[in-house]
Amino acid sequence: MASKVTLKRRSRNGPLISLVPMIDVMLILLVFFMVTSTYLNLDMIPAVRQQDQPAATATTPGRTGTAMIRLGADGVPVLRGQPLDAAGLDRALRDLLAGEPLAQVLILPSGGATTQALITVMDVATRAGVQRLRVIRLEARP
Amino acid sequence: MKLRRPAPAQHSETIIALIDVVLFLLIFFMLIGRMDATAPFEVSPPLATTGSDMPAGGATLAIAADGALALDGQALDRTTLDSRLAALLAEDPDLRLRVNAHKAAELRHVLPLVGAAEAMGFRDVVLVVTPADQP
Repeated sequence: MASKVTLKRRSRNGPLISLVPMIDVMLILLVFFMVTSTYLNLDMIPAVRQQDQPAATATTPGRTGTAMIRLGADGVPVLRGQPLDAAGLDRALRDLLAGEPLAQVLILPSGGATTQALITVMDVATRAGVQRLRVIRLEARP
Repeated sequence: MKLRRPAPAQHSETIIALIDVVLFLLIFFMLIGRMDATAPFEVSPPLATTGSDMPAGGATLAIAADGALALDGQALDRTTLDSRLAALLAEDPDLRLRVNAHKAAELRHVLPLVGAAEAMGFRDVVLVVTPADQP
């Protein structure tokens, strides 16, 4: 008479899901992001604000002065006919703002000036405390 | 008679540490950057000390030093740019336009585009700058 035989499955020792494909995928993703990305630290300066619409020039209380900075093609700012460097422009604007804190400063750049020159002048004006700063440009009329 | 020690099965623990490190690096690189298409030419934004942090979102108009244009990484000419900007603005009227001009780009290539975007109806146009230390 044959005896009853019971067979048992051997329990698996390893993990149920292999981790190796997951590691492969993650490594590929990691290398992809590291190779294709360039990491830049960038800031922004508003050029057009929502409240900068033409109606904003409506009634302003009291009298406020206006100064115009012309920016030549060589990148030198000219205020009231006088070429200035960054420190001189800073002093002149601070003197202007000391008398009229809400004075409007207009920048009229030459088309040949570089973007860096304009940004530098805007930077100096903002640091000097100018609150009403606008960049204007001349347009040829047909 | 030779007796051999069974090899210690400790590979899985080492692999788990590797996965941890790789996963941390992956998440770090994914979180720290904002995915943004780069222009097909070199653009080095001007230095500025008074810029503010740039939030994500918006379209990026890149302007090369010689005036070449690219919108969200795709090179195009002026007429195509106008139609593409109009289409973007129709989709989202509050879209921010980031003007990423090379620092040596002449303003005759930059300011007319800012003016055109404003005339087109863009209410939020910003100039991209590289933060610099206070002089």
